[in-house]
Amino acid sequence: MNDLNKLQHSDAVTTAWQFTEQVPHGRDLGMQVVSVDQGQVCMRLTPQSWMFAHKDTKEICTSVLYSLADSAGGLAVFAGALELMPIATLDLRMDYLRPAIGDRALSAVATCRHLSDDVAFIHCDILSEGNRELLATANATFMRNTQGQQLHAGGRGKESA
Amino acid sequence: MSTTGDSAPQISGTAESAKECADWQALLERIPYAQHLGLEVQRGDAGVLVHLPCREALIGNFMLPALHGGVLGALIELTARVAAQSQDAETRCPRILDSHINYLRSAKARSTFARADIIRQGRRTSLVQVTCWQGDDKKPIATGQVQLLLPTMAAQQEDRHGH
Repeated sequence: MNDLNKLQHSDAVTTAWQFTEQVPHGRDLGMQVVSVDQGQVCMRLTPQSWMFAHKDTKEICTSVLYSLADSAGGLAVFAGALELMPIATLDLRMDYLRPAIGDRALSAVATCRHLSDDVAFIHCDILSEGNRELLATANATFMRNTQGQQLHAGGRGKESA
Repeated sequence: MSTTGDSAPQISGTAESAKECADWQALLERIPYAQHLGLEVQRGDAGVLVHLPCREALIGNFMLPALHGGVLGALIELTARVAAQSQDAETRCPRILDSHINYLRSAKARSTFARADIIRQGRRTSLVQVTCWQGDDKKPIATGQVQLLLPTMAAQQEDRHGH
């Protein structure tokens, strides 16, 4: 998506999109936001050899998929809510259906399944780009409106510390 | 590391826990992503720990700042993997099937530690519980359960021929 498309979004979604692209861990892994639609987000990641799970195979470490699902899930909360408020991941469950081989980009599609005043329920599918076979699925629950916190921490806010 | 149940092995001596640390470290060194994150093995009061030193690339929110949830996910998954593999008599390389992580407190931009408890080590699968904390090990910041598949001999040989 280009800047023109971004203008069609609410300010909240644009800010959340920009925020997601500036997250240091996301930048380290090379995560990119591909599109943000109403309640749905697509992100991608190009594998590097340092992301592998073994020295002698090209299998991507499951934890890289986990990070991608967490980031896409967080952005999907804003895509569903269309308002800017601090959020925090309560829990995330990953199922790794197939090994992810590192010769293709990973693509994550996160959907906001249900939104209440307090909580957002997110589902995320991870696929190999250009392939319809699922590599992994994630289900995450995010707390909304966490006090004393700014945007997505990918973890709990200070209220519970 | 510790196991649950009656047969929980006690860390009987320095030599034994030193060997366990060395085993874990050797397994971690074979995982490129663990090296990228900077995971290192340490000896704690209750057994072997995995230490994740903090650095900028691990941050998920620069305004708080806080560690990325996926960084804790990686610490938990990789600790579970090394624990399951070191416990296996043939040190078979496990495949992670699923993981479920609960975030309990904020993950500050500081050193994080993880401890593994094997809930069940079976012939084909291993279920590992991992607890993460920062300053105080009585105040976990996240816990996770990881289910791993230990490959059968046939699958291993196939894998070896495949590469």
